Amino acid sequence: MVRIARLTAVLLLALLFLAGIAVSQTDPGVQSASRGTGAALSTVQSDDHPGILAFFNDGLARFQVVETVASGLGPRFNMNSCSSCHAQPAVGGSGAATNPEFAAISNGTVSGSTNTVPTFLTATGPTVEARFPYYFNSNGTVNFNSPNGGVEDLFTVSGLSGASSCSLQQPSFATAQQEGNVIFRIPTPTFGAGLLENLDDSTLLANQATNLKNHFGVSGAFNHNGNDGTIARFGWKAQNKSLHIFSGEAYNVEMGISNLLFTQDRPLPGEDGGGGSGQTGLVSGCLNLTGNGYPEDSSNPGQTSAPAVLDDVSAFANFMRGLAPPPTGGVILNGQAVSQTSLNNGSSQFSSIGCATCHNPTVGTTQASNFTGSLNKASVPAYSDLEIHHMGSGLADNVSQGGAGGDQFRTAPLWGLGQRIFLLHDGRTTSLITAIEDHGGHGSEASTVKSNYDALSTSNKQDLLNFLRSL
Amino acid sequence: MRWISLAALFLLVFVLRTASQNTPKNGGDFAGSPPANLPPGSKVPKNVILIKGAWSSASDSTTPVPDGGRVEDGFFRDDYFRISYPVPRGLTETYQGPPPSESGRYVLAQLGVPDTFKGENPGHILVTADDLFFTPFPVKDVLQLTAYEKDNLQTDYKIELPPTQTKIAGQPFTFYAYWSPAAELHWYVLSTEIRCHALEFVMTSRNTKILQNWVIEMSNMSLPVETTLTGNATAGDFPVCIKDYADGENVLNRVDPVFSEHRFNPVPVRIIIDKTGTIKHVHFLSAFPDQEKAITEAFKQWKFKPYVIAGKPVEVETGIMFGRAAHPLQPAVNTAVE
Repeated sequence: MVRIARLTAVLLLALLFLAGIAVSQTDPGVQSASRGTGAALSTVQSDDHPGILAFFNDGLARFQVVETVASGLGPRFNMNSCSSCHAQPAVGGSGAATNPEFAAISNGTVSGSTNTVPTFLTATGPTVEARFPYYFNSNGTVNFNSPNGGVEDLFTVSGLSGASSCSLQQPSFATAQQEGNVIFRIPTPTFGAGLLENLDDSTLLANQATNLKNHFGVSGAFNHNGNDGTIARFGWKAQNKSLHIFSGEAYNVEMGISNLLFTQDRPLPGEDGGGGSGQTGLVSGCLNLTGNGYPEDSSNPGQTSAPAVLDDVSAFANFMRGLAPPPTGGVILNGQAVSQTSLNNGSSQFSSIGCATCHNPTVGTTQASNFTGSLNKASVPAYSDLEIHHMGSGLADNVSQGGAGGDQFRTAPLWGLGQRIFLLHDGRTTSLITAIEDHGGHGSEASTVKSNYDALSTSNKQDLLNFLRSL
Repeated sequence: MRWISLAALFLLVFVLRTASQNTPKNGGDFAGSPPANLPPGSKVPKNVILIKGAWSSASDSTTPVPDGGRVEDGFFRDDYFRISYPVPRGLTETYQGPPPSESGRYVLAQLGVPDTFKGENPGHILVTADDLFFTPFPVKDVLQLTAYEKDNLQTDYKIELPPTQTKIAGQPFTFYAYWSPAAELHWYVLSTEIRCHALEFVMTSRNTKILQNWVIEMSNMSLPVETTLTGNATAGDFPVCIKDYADGENVLNRVDPVFSEHRFNPVPVRIIIDKTGTIKHVHFLSAFPDQEKAITEAFKQWKFKPYVIAGKPVEVETGIMFGRAAHPLQPAVNTAVE
């Protein structure tokens, strides 16, 4: 009798499981088949402006160079190579499945005698930078009258070869975690970035006005460059104007290397006197560690070959500018190839329920380009309007950058989404479904679109997920 | 099958036209709720927006503002518009909306089922207001706005009911409907105009019967007598709303604000001018604190010519755009509303 009851229970559970499969949708997950992502634009490959391929390849090589104290690394930094963080699914992308920051001590990137690995880093978690929304008071409590928001580099060069007497403490991440005063950002992929850079402001403004006509409660704004007032467009809050600025800032902030755009070694937000710390900058023992003066990266006019003249920041920018957009591709779901019909229907769902209002699949046509033909009058299927939108309290990171407030984020371009591992600005999830659901929240412009998604039939939801993983 | 659905929609319009009007109700005061000042030693709270960019604010907390609506006791009430809308059974406020946009759009209410809901999703209702002083669309009133929307519907949608004039709770509305064959979702859009704002009730569902019921239940809402479709109502006791009243000879004294920081955002501001020509209330739809301060200081010196109707001065409400203006669109092609 007991056996029959057990058997019945097992059968019932199996039935429920099968029913669950039939009535719920599944994220197809990261698509592992090669789509050719990471290649140069076609006209860069054909070297339409003779020498441009050499510039691209030079930038690609420098993007992967592992920096040392002798080449300018630090004194504070997150990682020692651009490609450490911009790695998935190819050089130039977002964070990889294995987090190099977690292995920083074990692989000798930093000294274990002077650094510890912050506990928020895990071996297979997202590669992140950390920011403290507020400064701390001297007694360790949060100073809510003093917003911070700058990057708190994870590591120091102290104890590394060439660091000499430079002795720096890491920020107090344990305290920040305990007080809830730390947020994270994952690397933004850079494929197709040259196309985004070459969109004229008028194209973006026209899109904005057109897309305001929606029944989803979506509005949107732009972040503007403080120098010339034009639309900024790179970074999670669209805080960076150009790929040069993006590269220069990252070289300085993420790797601690001064350059032609950011000409000094960067202290932490509190080390420069911010938040009433009383400090006046990095200690002298940590300055000019290369012994060659500043900036540590500059152009090299003494060199003879053209690419070698460039500073690294320009080379990085050239590389990213020449990167082709990530190609779309087929989708595998539960071991089976998804039909084109499903992908087409998913695309229609994406548009019908309002995703495309912000994740604009056709941002427009680029302006004329003197860089390479592929950037000249080219369409930009980025799935982004490059606007910043209120995403509500659930996603807010309480960091203000330029005109973007604590809950405003640039519409993340969705091209390449099929091969992205970590999703949303802080990599909080690897599930596409969770990422969609997290678009709804108090104060979010995307709540009604999320409700539209919830109202779809299961099969339409599945087609939408399939479509997203084809990007 | 399709003509039956169409006939039902037209029948719905007829039913609405003959429905009775409820007595308008006046609500209480709007009280702004800025972020709480956290006591020393507090941890940073989760899921709270503490660091704001350009945001909305008002010169006082007693004069109602459009974004002061709330859902309570089964009603959505907004004292600025003096509307009281009974939330359909089974729905609740899912999420509060974002702050007003720099183009003058408000998300007043989002009504649906909670995330924990199990079963067939009935759909949801979005209530918005577009400030017709600041909209980038080339429209003057809600009739033109509805026509513009319909004419510019993206190709994913098919019209089920063209814009049609009707009455809700005795007040004029336009009603149109469309659907997405791919998503199998239907949208019913009911619009009217109050205080130079286009109010829209956008109902979305896969089930048209549910939508029809929701539309019929709208007859139980209360609306002010100033509700109109063309912005011409002046019979009630709202301030008279006049676009561009702060231009030209109406302004006897004007001092431009001096901004301490060079920013690039549009700053839409609504003001109420009292019977003597002095600004009595300011509502910043979207402004940084330093911009708000500079404009407030400048407004203290502004003086208007009193607006007179039938020999008596009346209060005027108007809008002023500081900073970068929104991107204008080309004029719409006129489409008749049935």
